[in-house]
Amino acid sequence: MSGDTTPTGTTPAAAQPTPADEPRPVFTRPLLVREGRRPLHVEPVDGTVLRPVASRPPLREYLRLLWDRRHFIVADARARVATSNSGTLLGRAWLVLSPLLDAAVYLVIFGLLLRSSRGIDNFIGYLLIGVFLFRLTSSTVSAGARSLIAGRSLVRSFSFPRASLPLATVARQTLAFVPTLVLLVVLVLLTRPAAEDTWTPPAELLSWRWLLVPVVLALQLALNLGLTLIAARATARVPDLAQVVGVLMRFWLYGSAVFFSFDRFIDHPTLLQVVELNPMFRVLDMVRDCMLYGQTPTWESWAILTSWSVGLLVLGTVFFWRGEESYGSV
Amino acid sequence: MAPSSPAEAVRAVTGYAAVTSVQVAVDDVHVRYRTPSTDAAANAEVPRPVRVLNRVIGRQPTVLNRALAGISLVARSGEAVGVVGLNGSGKSTLLRIIAGLERPARGTVLARTTPVLLGVNAAMLPELTGQQNVRLGCLAMGMTPEQVSASYKEIVELSGLGPAIHQPMKTYSSGMGARLKFAIAAAANPQILLIDEALATGDAAFRERSEERMSQLRENAGCTFLVSHAAKTIEETCTRAIWLHKGRLVMDGGAYDVAQKYRWWAWNVAKGETEKAAGLLEDAFGEGHDTAVRVTDLYDPSAPPRHARRD
Repeated sequence: MSGDTTPTGTTPAAAQPTPADEPRPVFTRPLLVREGRRPLHVEPVDGTVLRPVASRPPLREYLRLLWDRRHFIVADARARVATSNSGTLLGRAWLVLSPLLDAAVYLVIFGLLLRSSRGIDNFIGYLLIGVFLFRLTSSTVSAGARSLIAGRSLVRSFSFPRASLPLATVARQTLAFVPTLVLLVVLVLLTRPAAEDTWTPPAELLSWRWLLVPVVLALQLALNLGLTLIAARATARVPDLAQVVGVLMRFWLYGSAVFFSFDRFIDHPTLLQVVELNPMFRVLDMVRDCMLYGQTPTWESWAILTSWSVGLLVLGTVFFWRGEESYGSV
Repeated sequence: MAPSSPAEAVRAVTGYAAVTSVQVAVDDVHVRYRTPSTDAAANAEVPRPVRVLNRVIGRQPTVLNRALAGISLVARSGEAVGVVGLNGSGKSTLLRIIAGLERPARGTVLARTTPVLLGVNAAMLPELTGQQNVRLGCLAMGMTPEQVSASYKEIVELSGLGPAIHQPMKTYSSGMGARLKFAIAAAANPQILLIDEALATGDAAFRERSEERMSQLRENAGCTFLVSHAAKTIEETCTRAIWLHKGRLVMDGGAYDVAQKYRWWAWNVAKGETEKAAGLLEDAFGEGHDTAVRVTDLYDPSAPPRHARRD
């Protein structure tokens, strides 16, 4: 066994004169001489010390790496919120102006022309909650679906857990929603129906149920996150899906009772049941109950929304993580 | 005789001691790209219905490009490996594969620590000021906010931008942008450093500063890969060189030897001496050698050694 794997001194590195200032490490490599082909250097490599690059870490490790990048995710989100309207005259004011104009359009079309407001108490509040909250989910998922494609240059320059990109999109849309949320609270307080015609004491105006709203919004955030992760991987694989996501969002918009009430249009019990399983319908319904109608959301609502949110978040995380190695060639 | 340490065990099996200093091992890597092409010949091979469909939805026929075809190499601590080759020979693809930014169609890359690719095309947000981009870029590389604050001054100094650091990046000249990107990437201080043409950016004053920073980085790094068109740069700064041609490895050896041969060949190509160049390429290929990476798994001593042997 001696003749073939003996180290040879003929490697070019050893033969060449070295630059004077740095000593060059000389390695001798086992050499195999082969008939009719180039000689073969056999390089033994310690498989316990070296690890494959760009391999998908276990899920727990992946989540830890993601946590390590939290500063990047937040910094990226804040930077993009700050610059999203640069170059326009009104700048950041568009963060609240565009949802407001959206709501105005629906108010004119559905409230004044089509009269879908009949039978709904405090239609303006009903509409504002519907439009503003649904916008948060639809803009998050649409932008998140494109996040890997939009961040292609980042993916090609740095190695980081790729879920940072959809997460940064969710963070950006959520941050951009904060001024809208403040506006929503102000408008809901201002547009209390004048029917009672008496000044409601603040204690009743701001009932303890308002404290449930952040909990519902947190569940909505989890829902957004899960959907975004699923959409991001699917769109990275087939870019055409970015168009489909927009269509699905519009379909969902009409199925979530954003600017009308289902009670008037649907009397088929099975169909009504399907609508009531819709998580976005539940989000809007629960927030309206808390902020407008002074009702505590039913345990059924909580159960339906929580199972959608937690389920989609877990499913989305695992689904995205399993595709981790494929995002480099988007 | 039971081996007392992993290094000892490897020596017993292979008769070879330097195994533990391996930093990067590239094992038989193949990369293919499907790229759109306006080539009429490629189009003619496509079946007619597909051709009609392509025309309707405005899709170009694609051709298969082999960017890398079976590359194997091993780099050790203290080595500075230069990669030479013409445009499109697969140099930058090789670096991206080693950095783990792209997945090869076949083969694996093993590394001791996460390699960092130092390219001048790192993503930046043009709307943000240089200062904000420094912060964002450093965080993207995995630095903590404290580390960013600590290295901020150094980055600005290296980039030499002065007060322009507080202006949006879209107002920068391309040279200024490249300088800032280089300065940000250089702040990472990685163990395995991959440099893609970074030395060629900026004016003379910046080049001197960047070369100085680069040699510092190389001293700290376990090993370095440098891609450059300029074989002279490779000759001066590397200990070893790899010559790629059409995705194949022509030669792998001492920097001086390989770079000289490459320059002589490239000169002949440039002068239109096609036949002579072809002969030189053939000679160089014949002088080179292939590499076979054998991964030893020390946790399972009962398994037979997997490296090639003849008796």
